[in-house]
Amino acid sequence: MAEQITALQQADSAQDLLRATQELAASADASAAPVLVEVLGFNNPGAAVAAVEGLISLGTAAVDALLQLDPENYGARAWAVRALAGIGDVRGLELLLDALGSDVAASVRRAAAKGLGQLQLDELPPDQQQAVRRQCLGALLAATSDGEWVVRYAVAVGLELLAAGLPPRLPEWQQARAGLVTLLAAAPDNAPVVQRRAHLALLRLEQQ
Amino acid sequence: MVDADASPPQAGEPISEQEALRRLRQSEDSSQQYYGAWWLGRMRSQHPEAVPLLQQALRQRRPRDSGDGVEENAVARNAARALGKLAPAAQTAIPDLLDTLQDADDGLREAAARALGQLAASEAIEALCEKLASGPAGAGAQQANSPRLVEPCEALLEALGDIGVNEPRVLAVVKPFLAHERPLIRSAAARTLLQLSGEARWGELLVDLLDHPQLQVRRAALMDLGAAGWRPGFKAIAATLAENSLKLMALRGLVEQGNGDPGDEALLACMDALL
Repeated sequence: MAEQITALQQADSAQDLLRATQELAASADASAAPVLVEVLGFNNPGAAVAAVEGLISLGTAAVDALLQLDPENYGARAWAVRALAGIGDVRGLELLLDALGSDVAASVRRAAAKGLGQLQLDELPPDQQQAVRRQCLGALLAATSDGEWVVRYAVAVGLELLAAGLPPRLPEWQQARAGLVTLLAAAPDNAPVVQRRAHLALLRLEQQ
Repeated sequence: MVDADASPPQAGEPISEQEALRRLRQSEDSSQQYYGAWWLGRMRSQHPEAVPLLQQALRQRRPRDSGDGVEENAVARNAARALGKLAPAAQTAIPDLLDTLQDADDGLREAAARALGQLAASEAIEALCEKLASGPAGAGAQQANSPRLVEPCEALLEALGDIGVNEPRVLAVVKPFLAHERPLIRSAAARTLLQLSGEARWGELLVDLLDHPQLQVRRAALMDLGAAGWRPGFKAIAATLAENSLKLMALRGLVEQGNGDPGDEALLACMDALL
């Protein structure tokens, strides 16, 4: 482990960095997390993709390191949002809400939208589950009017994930459905692919 | 591939349609005209004055000489781009765009060719074919003092694909460009042939370009597969070494432009995984 970390820290070309990151990401060792988080700030997209994959496979063990990231480091934060979205740990909630509501990059907002639909809530007490779900839902519904098609597409995915498994009598299920109906609308600047994704989500929810 | 500078000149304050028309109408400040023209295209203005004003801006172009006239042609280029976005209202501007296709300014010819493609102007086929007829060694040769080609081949080829008339004379003009030394031109030719004929071999050629060592070429092939909506390429698109944003755009093209196998559900699942 220490050897792999040293290899990464001494990497002096983009290729070396990528290789070292891939090895570290494959180690499945929680002590790799802070180093992988560091890689997110190196402005090397190939290595950052490998680091995000490694962090997602570490799961909840990577969350602390991700949350300690310097909020001023914008580039790294965008990658961290993707990692947190993929991990689904509820400790990432604030960062995901913030990213969907206000990040300037559509790629970050789209990752956050999907992430808000797939937070793992099973271990929380029922009242907290409901409170978190409502926050996620509020952010997703607000983002149904996002100006970028790809974000609205991700909102459709997030709404489906959020509502799947809930009983249709719950207000959350009904609000998610209403959000999908909004995305189904053939507005002049809506994209057909968003409509088709919303249509598919509604079909699945109504068949469950 | 994609329009090189379809972005706003500067972010600026949000303006109204009336304001955009006013800026384009005045002639003192060409940067205001530039912004007005861009706005009308971006917002897909349906105002009855939009197309006539853009036609007028397109006619304002002048012969290019060093240091002079560049700014005014910038307005004309934006006007051409905007007209392309205003189909079908801009059909009346097709004769002006055909004239512009003969302009001495490379960038203007390129913008006019793209606009004619977006307007699906079958009247333009003859002129586009004529421009390309001399093949990779003529129209496709590099200019003496610039990295540009003699003709804006990528835009001319893609316009023929967008117009979408599958005739032997069009195929005969496009095919030689599959052997062009620049991979971006090969990609554009394959895209056009795929759009016109639907034959799998052209789609496979684009899939091969997804493995090209240069990122720029992989990106172009992604956009070209998306524009042609070639669904059998979906797995190769998802596996390409490029940004997910571009793969998502390409897959959107497969969903919206393509048909047949794989069906929507498989394509959408593939997109979901890239978010």
